[in-house]
Amino acid sequence: MRTSRTLGLVMIAPAAIMILLFYLMPVILTGVFSMTNMSTATGISGGAFQVTQGAVNRLRTEMPEIADAISEPRFVIDEAGIAAVEAAGLASAIAAELRTEHLGEVHASRREAERMIKALKERPSTRQTKQISDFFNRSVINTRFESREALMEGLKKLGVTLTPEQQEAMARATYTGWVWTTDNFRVIGNSPDMAQVFVNTAFYVAVTLLLFNVGYALFLAVTTHYMPATTASIFRAIWLLPRITPVVIYVLMWKWLTWDSGFISMFMGQFGHPPKNYLLDSAYNAWFFVILINGFIGASMGMLVFSSAIKAIPEAQFHASEVDGASRWQQIRYIILPQLRWPILFVTCYQTLSLLASFNEILLSTRGGPGRATEVWSLAAYHTALQNYTGNLEYGLGAAMALVLVVIGVILSLIYLRVFRYDTLISKPLIED
Amino acid sequence: MTVLSTCKSVTLAAVLLASTAAFASAKDVTISVWSGGSGPNDNYRVDAIEIAAGLLEHEAAVRGEELNITVQKTPYSGWEEFKQALTLAAEAKKAPNIVATGHEDIGPWAQAGLIVPVEDYIDLDSWPISDIYPNLMEISSFNGAVYGIPQDAESRPFFFWKPHMKAIGYSDADIEALPAKVESGEYSLKNVLEDAKKMQDAGLVQAGYGFYPRTNNGPDYWQFYTSFGGVMEEEGKLVFDKAAMARTYQYFVDLVAAGVTKKNHIGMPGDQWWAEVASGKAGIWHGGTWHYARLVNQEGLKDFFGNVQFTLIPAGEGGKANTLTHPLTYLLMAGHDEETTQIAADLVKIASEPRINALHAIKSAHLGISEAETKVDLYAADRWASEATARLLPHANAMPNNADFGKYWTIMWKNFEASWTGAKTVDAAVNDAEAELKSTLGDAIIIR
Repeated sequence: MRTSRTLGLVMIAPAAIMILLFYLMPVILTGVFSMTNMSTATGISGGAFQVTQGAVNRLRTEMPEIADAISEPRFVIDEAGIAAVEAAGLASAIAAELRTEHLGEVHASRREAERMIKALKERPSTRQTKQISDFFNRSVINTRFESREALMEGLKKLGVTLTPEQQEAMARATYTGWVWTTDNFRVIGNSPDMAQVFVNTAFYVAVTLLLFNVGYALFLAVTTHYMPATTASIFRAIWLLPRITPVVIYVLMWKWLTWDSGFISMFMGQFGHPPKNYLLDSAYNAWFFVILINGFIGASMGMLVFSSAIKAIPEAQFHASEVDGASRWQQIRYIILPQLRWPILFVTCYQTLSLLASFNEILLSTRGGPGRATEVWSLAAYHTALQNYTGNLEYGLGAAMALVLVVIGVILSLIYLRVFRYDTLISKPLIED
Repeated sequence: MTVLSTCKSVTLAAVLLASTAAFASAKDVTISVWSGGSGPNDNYRVDAIEIAAGLLEHEAAVRGEELNITVQKTPYSGWEEFKQALTLAAEAKKAPNIVATGHEDIGPWAQAGLIVPVEDYIDLDSWPISDIYPNLMEISSFNGAVYGIPQDAESRPFFFWKPHMKAIGYSDADIEALPAKVESGEYSLKNVLEDAKKMQDAGLVQAGYGFYPRTNNGPDYWQFYTSFGGVMEEEGKLVFDKAAMARTYQYFVDLVAAGVTKKNHIGMPGDQWWAEVASGKAGIWHGGTWHYARLVNQEGLKDFFGNVQFTLIPAGEGGKANTLTHPLTYLLMAGHDEETTQIAADLVKIASEPRINALHAIKSAHLGISEAETKVDLYAADRWASEATARLLPHANAMPNNADFGKYWTIMWKNFEASWTGAKTVDAAVNDAEAELKSTLGDAIIIR
């Protein structure tokens, strides 16, 4: 018994590891990212400590004297610096000249100090100049410290001593990396744009699902069921085309159809209508085409599932109903639909989740336009986190948006299971009890 | 093993040893350079680095060293893909050595530690860096350090299709005087709307083609905000001027209402736009100095000066005529060893020499980066470069280098587009922008 259990675990281990890596980890990481303010500017891998002008401004209210003391660059030619130059193994004439000619000088900027260094008789190379000027830097402004300790060390050398609270404030004000925060969810909750995107998504998913992925799929399945076998297969094959065409080409064909110089424009031109971009002409147009583009792809899966489910209904039921004088409609209503409950649940549930998460057709056709009219949640998350014109990639906010999608998906699945009474669908048949 | 084969092996080994000894001093370096927004006329953004590599190899040879530099060039035609690819590559520690990108990226990338200050590797007092226009150097700086070397300059004019202007009553002299009238504020954005309407009413252009703006987001739209009196940044803090932004949004709503600009203009196919402005299908439009190169080289507009007049962006209510310069800068990416970065920096420096930079400036119709460059024959003989430099560059301002500017821009544009397409009213758009700016940027932005 124990061996078989261990064997079972061993057998399932590869699959379990895959599930952990490719299913759970992304969700967990999304959750982690969503609790940060990660963006292009903060970087992903962590930050450094830099006393910038902005940081000094932030510190002014809390500790004005210290802020003033660290706000200016200062390069002092002192003995300590010259000793460092000597120790660095540079030409000895450099240190000597600095000591005899420049000891005690104070320069108000790095550039000024470096001009003096470059004017030395033994002129150092550009990199050496930078190295030497660093030895005389007696300020922290604009210096990048890799750790908090290094920053505090640097401040200490300047004679700036800080209380633990001040150290905390200093570290906070100068940190360049990301921090933990729940702001993303506040932004999502408060932004009118997010609300609009949410409404867009609900509209898109509901309409595409009802009209095409379930509705039209059901229509196709039922009508092909009553057709001769060959005709039915041809029809089904045609409806599979959008699904098997590469999405880029498929959407491009829609664009050819709808552009200013596209087919519809040319056709309407025959009737005196000026050419226009039918895809992006108005929000209504854009939605119309977005739903068609997605619906034509989505209908095929439901069609296949429903068709095979109808095939599984014993033919005797149809024959019997015909003997009883049932019409086609009555057959659909009382024989087909009741036995399709499980496939309909499956398709509805599966397609809701896939519509919620898919945005490639919209990205390729309208890019969420015109004026973000067709921007749906997943596309907005993608734009926010990974692709926008300004290059300001907000990983944290994007992850929070994605997380909202995960939560909505889970909630909707639970509701569907309830509505379609999943428990009775999977309960054991009474006869076997 | 026979004596012969032993001899062979020994000889072979000796030859191999000798060959390694001969190349012991040779140094092979691979420098990768990426550039964004680089169309067919912008090849010198990356090619200049290759030319520079040739020169640096010669310099090394003169010093008696053997240096072999392989330059890997990756130009991107768009911006979105480029910034996405670069940011993610840098986070994955696979950044290129050199990147040519818009100066506004310096802020966030410097803060994130993706780039290193170029002044750590280049002596700013040395030629040709010392010769570069100081305002361009200023634009390439952040937090008091120079992070980039300007790769080009440009500015963004308004264009008028001369035959259509004549057809609505402008004489040749009027058209000649237009740039000065725009500069003085006598000809404003209000006149643009009126003239565009006249062109449409006269049947010269189709509805929606009177004023034919850029088809996607871009720095251009900040010019209208400036035209209506808006300011982007003041003393290191971003500024959102509600009234100026409202006037800007309103202007585009008015254009749509008058029928001279399409409501769904944004997102239209770019190629179609180019073909149309090059052939007189549009009356008035705006773009950048580099449009000259594309119109003439790719779109077949042979007689540019006979057909097109160009001016500053006209003033609107509460502002003045302006233009925006959006220099690209060469930046050095972090994550490489010091020696390679030093070579990359040397290449950038050489590529900034007037003669090499002029290749890019003239081929792509951008503007030069230094006074000396305007004296290079190639540059001086180019009518477009000299006229555009004189007419536009003195009035140019730039977007701020501010780590938060991208956020501001995204929010500003989102609402711009929403009000333009009628998805939101102007008031709602401005209020939404304000609310979102407050919640995302807080104290980092002044709202007035």
